[in-house]
This record gives sequence, C-alpha cells and structure tokens, in this order.
Amino acid sequence: MAAAERVRDLRLVADQVAPLALARERTMPLLPALTSLFPEGGLRRGSIVAVGGVGATSLALAVAAGPSASGSWTAVVGDPGLGLAAAAEAGVVLERMLVVDPKGQDVAGVVAALVGSVDVVLVGPGVRIRPADVRRLTARMRERGSALVRIGALDEPGVDIGLRIVESEWTGLGVGHGLLRARRVRVETQGRGSAAQPRGAALLLPGPQGAPVVLGEPALGEPAPGESEVRPALRVLA
Amino acid sequence: MTGPVRTLVAWCPDWPVVAFGRGLDEPVAVVHANRVIAASPEARRHGVARGLRRRVAQSRCAELDVVERDEAREARTFEPVLAALDDITPRVEVTRPGTCALVMRGPSRYFGGDEAVADLVRERMGEVLDGRTEVRVGIADGPFAAGLVARAAHPIRIVAAGESPAFLAPMSISVLDRPELTDVLVRLGIRSLGSFAALPAADVLARFGDEGRGAHRLAAGLDERPPDARLSPPDWSVSAEIDPPADRVDRVAFVARTLADDLHQRLDHDGISCVRIAIEAETEYGETLLRLWRHEGALSAGAIADRVRWQLDGWLNGSAATRPSGGISRVTLLPDEIVPASGRQLGFWGGESEVDERAARVAARLQGQLGADAVKVPERRGGRHPDEQLVLVSAATVELRGRSADLPVDGDEAAPWPGRLPAPSPSRVPAKPHAVELTDAEGAMVTVTGRGLASAPPVALGIRGRSLAIVGWAGPWPVDERWWDTDDHRRRARFQILTDDGQARLITLEQGQWWVTALWD
Repeated sequence: MAAAERVRDLRLVADQVAPLALARERTMPLLPALTSLFPEGGLRRGSIVAVGGVGATSLALAVAAGPSASGSWTAVVGDPGLGLAAAAEAGVVLERMLVVDPKGQDVAGVVAALVGSVDVVLVGPGVRIRPADVRRLTARMRERGSALVRIGALDEPGVDIGLRIVESEWTGLGVGHGLLRARRVRVETQGRGSAAQPRGAALLLPGPQGAPVVLGEPALGEPAPGESEVRPALRVLA
Repeated sequence: MTGPVRTLVAWCPDWPVVAFGRGLDEPVAVVHANRVIAASPEARRHGVARGLRRRVAQSRCAELDVVERDEAREARTFEPVLAALDDITPRVEVTRPGTCALVMRGPSRYFGGDEAVADLVRERMGEVLDGRTEVRVGIADGPFAAGLVARAAHPIRIVAAGESPAFLAPMSISVLDRPELTDVLVRLGIRSLGSFAALPAADVLARFGDEGRGAHRLAAGLDERPPDARLSPPDWSVSAEIDPPADRVDRVAFVARTLADDLHQRLDHDGISCVRIAIEAETEYGETLLRLWRHEGALSAGAIADRVRWQLDGWLNGSAATRPSGGISRVTLLPDEIVPASGRQLGFWGGESEVDERAARVAARLQGQLGADAVKVPERRGGRHPDEQLVLVSAATVELRGRSADLPVDGDEAAPWPGRLPAPSPSRVPAKPHAVELTDAEGAMVTVTGRGLASAPPVALGIRGRSLAIVGWAGPWPVDERWWDTDDHRRRARFQILTDDGQARLITLEQGQWWVTALWD
C-alpha cells in the first residue's frame, strides 16, 4: 500500500521535473507590438521570417529587438548599410550584435556558422541563398534553435512566415515644416503551417521614439498612444 | 628543490607605444576597447593615464595621437629583441610582448653570477632596441617577484636568494592584479603583501578559495601553485605538418587555430589548463625554433591561437638575422606548464555568460575564415550624422565576453550633439551616399543661401534617372563642422524629403551636390 503510494508520488514528481518542450517554450519573446502577428505570440526557434514592403528594414529590426532585449545575440549578415542608431532605437541591444561581411563568399556557409551561436540572424536585402542551402540551413536552425530574419525575401522558398507592409504613411512632416515623427503602417502576414491564417496589425513603425508602437482601434486620424499630450487639469486657486 | 625558481625578468617599458615605432617623446596613447592601455611618457606628463576613455584622454592632451592596439605587431617587433637572448639561454619565456623571463640556474653558473647575466641581457637587448626604450632587469626568486623587481629597477636590481618575501612585504596589495580580491582585502584593512602573507594559509583558502590561495602564495614569495608531485605528464603536444612549407603567416595561421583548438580540447578532456606553452616550428631545412609563452591565468583556445600566430609572424617577418632560412614545415604546441583546471563558473546574472562565450567563439571562427575585418561590432562614438553616431569596429579589437554585463552607456553617448536629428533615426545609412538632383517648380536646382535658407521649395527629386514628386519636406538644417580644421571642415545642409513612393530620405547638400545620406526604410 505504502509502496504503491510512493510509486504514485514518484510519478508525480517525475512528471513535474521531466524536460518538456512546449511550442511556446521554443519561442523567443517579441516586442509586445508584434506578438499579435505571430501565431505562437513569439518568434519560433528554427523559423525563417521574411519581411517586405516599404519599411521592411524597420520591421526586421523590430522583430530582432524582442529576442535581443531578452539576452540573445543578433548577427547581421550582408547588410553594411543597416542604420545602427535605428536598430538601437527599435530595441536591439548593440552590445550583443555582430555585423558580418561575407566578402563575396558563400553566404549560406556564414549563416550556418552563426546559427547555434547567435539566436537571431538578420540577412540583408539582395542576399541570395540557394533553395538547397535553405533546406540545409532550416535543418540546422531547428536543431540549434536559432531564427533567421530575411529582408525582402518574401517569395523565397523556405519562408515560414512573411510579414508585408501593405500601407505606410508618415506623420509629422509637412511641406516646408515639421519633422519625421512616426510612420503608420499596416502589416499583413502570409505563411504556412500554423502561420497560414493571415493576420494583420496596425503599428507605428518606427514610433516617435524609434520603437514600434501598436495602434489600437482608434482610426488613423486620432492621436496614437504615446503621442497624446497629457495636461494636468486646471484648478481654481481661491 | 622546492622553493620558487630563481628568475630574471627583463622589462621594456611602454612597449605597446614602442611597437608602433613612435618615439617616447611624442604624445601617443594606445587604446583597446575605447580605454587607454598604454601611453608614452610625454602623454603621461599631460595626465594621460591607463584606463582613461579615449575621449577623456584626448581632452587632457589635445595633440595626443591615439592608436588602436595591435597585439600582433607588438609581438612581431618584440621577437628580434628576444632573439638577441638566444645564445644566453634557449628557453626565453615571453610573459607578454615587452616582458620576458628566463630561468637563472644554468646561465648564472655559466656566465659567473647573477650580475654578469643581468648586464649581458641588458646589453644584448639594448643593442637591438637601439635607444627606442630602456631595458630594466630584475632578478629574484620566482617570476612574480622578479617582475616586480624589474619594475622597481634602475636599470638593474638583484634581490638575493631568499630575500624575495622581504622585498615583497611592503608592496601594495594592488600589484597582485586581482581587483575583486584586493578590493575585499583593502576593506578588511590588509593593504600590503606582507600583511596578506601573514594570514594563515588555511584561513585564506577557506574564505577566498583557490584564487585566494594562489594570491596568498604569491604574496608570500612562493610560486602561485605548490609544486605538482605527479609524474611527468603524458605527451599532450600536438603538431601539424605544413605541406608545402609556408612562408606566409596567413597560411600558417589557419593551422595554428586548428592546433590550438585541438590542444585545448585534449587538455579540457583531462581536466587540465595550460599556463605556459612552448611553440616550436621546424623549417624545411631542419632548423628548429622554440619560444615559450606564459599567461596569467589559464590559456584559452583563442589565446593560444593568438600567441601562435604572433610568434610565427615574428619569426617569418623578423629581421634578416633572425628569420628562418626556409618556409615552416611543421608546427608543434607543447603545454609546458600545466595546472589542474579549476573550472570556470559561468555567470548567472550578467558577468561572463554562456551566450557571450558562444558569440565570441563564432566571431573568432568567422574571422579566421574571412579575415579579421569581416566581423564587426557597433561602437558608440557620437556625432551629428547617422553614420557618425555609431561606427563599426573590428570585433578583434573588442572583448566580446562579458559584453552583456557592461550595458550601461556612459559619457560619450550621452554627450549632447546640438543639431543632430531626433528619433526616429534612419534605418538605412548607405556606406557610399549617391548623388541626386533636387529641383524646384521651374526645374532649377534647389540651393541653400548663405543665411541657411532654401532658394525655392523643392518639388521633385531626381534619383537614378527617375523623377519622384515631393509630398513633404523640411529643412534646410545647416551644419558647419570643424571649421577650425582646414582638412576636416565640412559644411552641409540637410533636408528630410518624403516622396510620393512613400519613401522618406535624408538628403544633404555638400559642395554644390545633393546626396542621399540616409533612408527611413
């Protein structure tokens, strides 16, 4: 009797301590503004994300910012013109960032070396990776748990989730006056597997401070969160 | 023989400066990871000290010449100096470029006493140095004491056998170069090596662990670790043939890295660290070259590979007198002095974490494959333009391990740069700006007047043969930078331009030409 009880207790303990990898544990945290775009609410390890449209670079930086802020390293491959100040404002931690120049050599090999050691690899626009190399990379990324973000490669094979900016409108800049303040964008997703169901979100990308801000229900004309001025109410002094 | 081995240490002050071929009477500072690590006496006279930030050092001495540290160069230029000692003893040990040590027993007996050897070493090294810097020689029991004696020497100082503890006793505890430990000791009221050495060894071990024990032994004038009673180790040496024999460093360097990794793995497997390594090269004509390298703390795989590369570089690119007669056909690494690996605890919060270690490793690997400048890291500099605020520096010049820990940005970044554009910053900053045309309603080029006003509202942006209608613009914001410097003087006027394709650009007028300097993509 006591023995059976002990076995039951042991089972209970074993269940509690067993290594169990739920899908959401295999993800990396994203900035809150982006979670609604991803089916798991986070950046799935081993996945390839492609971003496109006007503003793709800002979107790629926003995707990389979440994991970076939570302690991951980021590597940028084949994109020497990336705005580092914009990356920092988006939330990418520059102290944990490597910028790699493949020097015309095999990009896939460089990326393969990086996955596993670096959690997020950002591949610049115009970098070609052959489909066969993509397949090999995917296998390696699944095993090592890194994610790949490709700028402007929406229609390439192997992409798990594609984020496309379909509308974009700058605010703050007038004709002869003002200053670029924020860009209102609408992002739509396309993808396969769990990401097959299309999703969309309205964002300020970049927001007034550079980091993306989610635009709620208010229509585009209304002040966005973070933009409205809060003034203290006036009170009568006797 | 159980006590520390009688050792001679020869020290060339300010070696990182001397290695650049600079005179010590010029104000020069050598920086690494934005901190001054060495300064010439002239720079020190102006208050430039080790550990200062680059910018602070420059503010103390306006004509200061700041150079980035180049360890390979330091090692390469030190090799001929070492070669001068080869006929005194074949086993010269490099502690770091600029400092070398040799065991006194044999040479002292052969040349007739410590003084004779010290004179000889100083003379030989002085000949090669040819007045570039001085040589200070210290002889004492054990390399630690001898190193300190050399620093106190003018130019030769010999501490008699058995007197080393008395020499060390009044010295400040900070010479141990273990800031974390000495901080605690100072707060406990222990300020000199003598008072630290007076503590009971068992209590020091109980409170400060392995590291504390090592420091305690050094303070007492002993070797850092007790002599190892084990039998002579199995052969841990690794070697590689190079076929065809290499006479260029880049070819050998690749072999060096694999060898270092290999050696490190084998030592790791046996729970052993290496504190002194012998690098041996054989040339195609059967010459053998040997040099010992010591490292405070254990040598990591990367550190071993670096030392092998520097050493081979020193041999292959040395002066005609010391260069081997042919290409190198074989490289052997022998762990010369080994200690049990004490293991390393990876940090839980901050400190040295595993992710940094992994990133540092892959960076080193890619550098080996693609070249040192292929992997870069951002560094904050400050400036008004997007390409000046942050620059990319080679990852080889920055310590990647522990980078996560020192996140807070200080001074430089927070410094005000009046006239810089506020957030959001442009997400694309092309390395080479391309020329564009900005025209007004009449199709004439828009210019900026001397008073900083646009000649006419811009209407169209001509970019690579296309003409885009302008839907929003602001500016000009003129910048007149470094007007005191005829070479670096730049006058620019900046505009933010939004075109009908939805793209926002930062365009700049400089010397009568419009350029796209950044994009908000």
